[in-house]
Amino acid sequence: MSHSTTRRGLLAGLALTVAAATAGLTASEPAFAGAYPAKPVTLVVPYRAGGSTETMARVFAKALGAELGQPIVVRTRPGAGGAVGATEVAAAAPDGHTILFAATASLLWPPLTQKVEYDLNSFIYVAQITEYQQAIVAKADAPYDTLAGLIAHSKQGGGLNYADQSAMSRAYIDFIAAKEGVEWTGIPTKGGGEMVPFLLGGKVDFAWSGGIHNRYAGKMKVLASMNSGRLIASPDTPSIGETYGIAMPSQAVIVAPAGTPRDVVDTLQAAIETATRDADFADLVENKLKFPVKFVGATALQADIDQTVTGLRKVVEQTQ
Amino acid sequence: MLEQLLTGFDAALTFGNLAFIAAGVALGIVIGVIPGLGSVTALAVLVPVTFYMQPLAAIAFLVGVNKGGTSGGAVPAILLNAPGTPEAAATALDGHPLARKGQAEKAMKFALFSSVTGDTFSDIVLILVAAPFAVVALQFGPLEFTAVLLFAFALLSGLAGSSPLKGLTAIFLGVFLSTIGLDPIDSTTRMTFGQVQLFDGLPLAAIAIGALALASVTEQLFGLWREGETATDRAAARGDRAANRLPFRTFFGYRKTLLRSAFLGSVVGMLPGLGVSLAAFLSYGAARRASSDPDSFGRGNPEGIVATEAANSAVVGANLVPTIALGIPGNIAAALLIGAFMIHGVVPGPFMMTMHGELIYALFASMLIANVVHLAIGTVGIRLWAHVARVPRGVILPLVIVLCIAGVYLPTQSMFDIGVMLAFAGVGLVMRRTGFSVVCLVIGFLLGGMFETSLRQALLLYKSNMTAVLQSPIALIFLALTLFILVRAFRRG
Repeated sequence: MSHSTTRRGLLAGLALTVAAATAGLTASEPAFAGAYPAKPVTLVVPYRAGGSTETMARVFAKALGAELGQPIVVRTRPGAGGAVGATEVAAAAPDGHTILFAATASLLWPPLTQKVEYDLNSFIYVAQITEYQQAIVAKADAPYDTLAGLIAHSKQGGGLNYADQSAMSRAYIDFIAAKEGVEWTGIPTKGGGEMVPFLLGGKVDFAWSGGIHNRYAGKMKVLASMNSGRLIASPDTPSIGETYGIAMPSQAVIVAPAGTPRDVVDTLQAAIETATRDADFADLVENKLKFPVKFVGATALQADIDQTVTGLRKVVEQTQ
Repeated sequence: MLEQLLTGFDAALTFGNLAFIAAGVALGIVIGVIPGLGSVTALAVLVPVTFYMQPLAAIAFLVGVNKGGTSGGAVPAILLNAPGTPEAAATALDGHPLARKGQAEKAMKFALFSSVTGDTFSDIVLILVAAPFAVVALQFGPLEFTAVLLFAFALLSGLAGSSPLKGLTAIFLGVFLSTIGLDPIDSTTRMTFGQVQLFDGLPLAAIAIGALALASVTEQLFGLWREGETATDRAAARGDRAANRLPFRTFFGYRKTLLRSAFLGSVVGMLPGLGVSLAAFLSYGAARRASSDPDSFGRGNPEGIVATEAANSAVVGANLVPTIALGIPGNIAAALLIGAFMIHGVVPGPFMMTMHGELIYALFASMLIANVVHLAIGTVGIRLWAHVARVPRGVILPLVIVLCIAGVYLPTQSMFDIGVMLAFAGVGLVMRRTGFSVVCLVIGFLLGGMFETSLRQALLLYKSNMTAVLQSPIALIFLALTLFILVRAFRRG
């Protein structure tokens, strides 16, 4: 939150004091004609402040703002695994001044499994920025080194426990368990911060990780990539895309509400492409978070998303 | 280690760094004073500002903000009985009665000095034992957390309110309210009535500010309207200069309470997720039980302020133990600090000490320096806030209502939260009239999510086999204590 939003938020809060009881008001901006962007762009991040996506968005917003010639205001709207922020952007004016920085999981999983107020056609995929490094991990001293080894170990008897971090991560692991005929019990955890002590403290046998394992090299090992391809830090470990023909949505993307004019999307896409080459951003993503900077433009991204959705439907049908 | 710490001081003791610490503490206090805005909001608002600073200056600044934000909350609690957070509600229990006796300044001094003492204690704990204690924290799994939380509920039920049964009722009403939203295991919606806003449950800040601060302020306004300004009001506003002095000897007389509270706060702080409020109330309860005159608590006994403020500030330093030793944030404030670390090139994790030793020791040094700065700025602040105490309540209370609304709106910018706050102000008023503890409700809500998740994780993990408890000495001890407290409370009642 920048200074200007703080002040604006405060003023708005004061002005709305009288009308406070009528909850649910949203001020809509008037539509405008002319060059884009005409005013500061709001970049909604549907997750809590302090996480890797939010951290990434803050640094990226600086580079993107310089490119577009208008400041980018990062606004966190956490909730429901990203569905709250996504709902808000889906309903925003389609003029490119309110855009969303999110994991595709938050845009694809809720419409397929829950009752939410947006669907698979609510957004235009402007560009992909990076790829989450999702994996099945185990403690470094576990008696197995690969997913195949884990499955063989499980078949020796005694159900194993694993830590998941969302309904979707559990669905994918249960999909594998059903396919292999093994018994694994998912223990839900609230994100990497809770998963790490569960795994290192020996409470669970293995865990799903969204990328936090990169900070624990030497204490954890990767058994399988949950993405369609292999992870940059573990190029020798096969992905579930190779083994089972399914993959978890792994793209971090910027999307705009459906109906956003073509030229606005093009301007935005070009600015994003240049901004991904920003030195500060690249340093944060590649050296600190250990994610690859991966720019994919609108057309190629849409094709990738369509393919992801096909795999997703398969998992949803079998596990939900 | 001493050598490393000295190098840390060398790096941290620059003019620029001191200025950033001072600015951080001052900004933190100012934001913390607004009911409902605590250190978490202060950090969230100020993290982006640090993008333009050197790493050490940025982290020192944020450390200052965190400390100032945590202690600033005591001011509205003491002066106006308008606590925005449950931990400040513990301070208000004795702080506000003392202020009504015309000793507002003294109450604030007690709060500040205890805060700085607790803080310093836990910083030293952090520096000395970060690594070994992290190993202990790993022993705490879902089963142990469930037992600790049950123990906490039992203790809390006896602390506030007229009877333990009413206390427990309020706590479990809070736990019930915390189950609204997405189920933590299956992600199915519970009692959301199709509202996406409710998927993550009711907003904590809105409930805390509504039920604690707004309800109290509204009740005071009603009283003022019925009775006008009373003699107590005038006496409280005038204050008593002599009675407001706090000689060091007097403060030091509470050393036993200070040490016990700082210790309790540090232990709670080292376990991720339990948090500031629990520490404040546990320590308040411990102080009351240890006191020779337990009935004086709640009527302006300074020991109540000392116990809560020393404990809740001790959480701040100790919360960084899991952060620095394991890379696991102990609370939201620590999570925001982790985000700031990453932006400034420090990757949080178990290797932080070895890879970024210099910066970590400079951080330790900055924390210790920040305590001294905090004491200085806080003392100046008390003189300023003392003026607020002299403004007639009829003028200041309506302003607090505006601040409550702004405080809820600011971090989330959601009108839905404002509606929740207003609704819970009504709930708070009804509960105050009927003798149910509002604080128990808020803490039940605060810890309810963690209680449910831990319990259900434990049930899944041990396949609902109750004998698993027998294999965990930690869980057994806490369950036995819970039983002991409840049996004793109901025998007395």
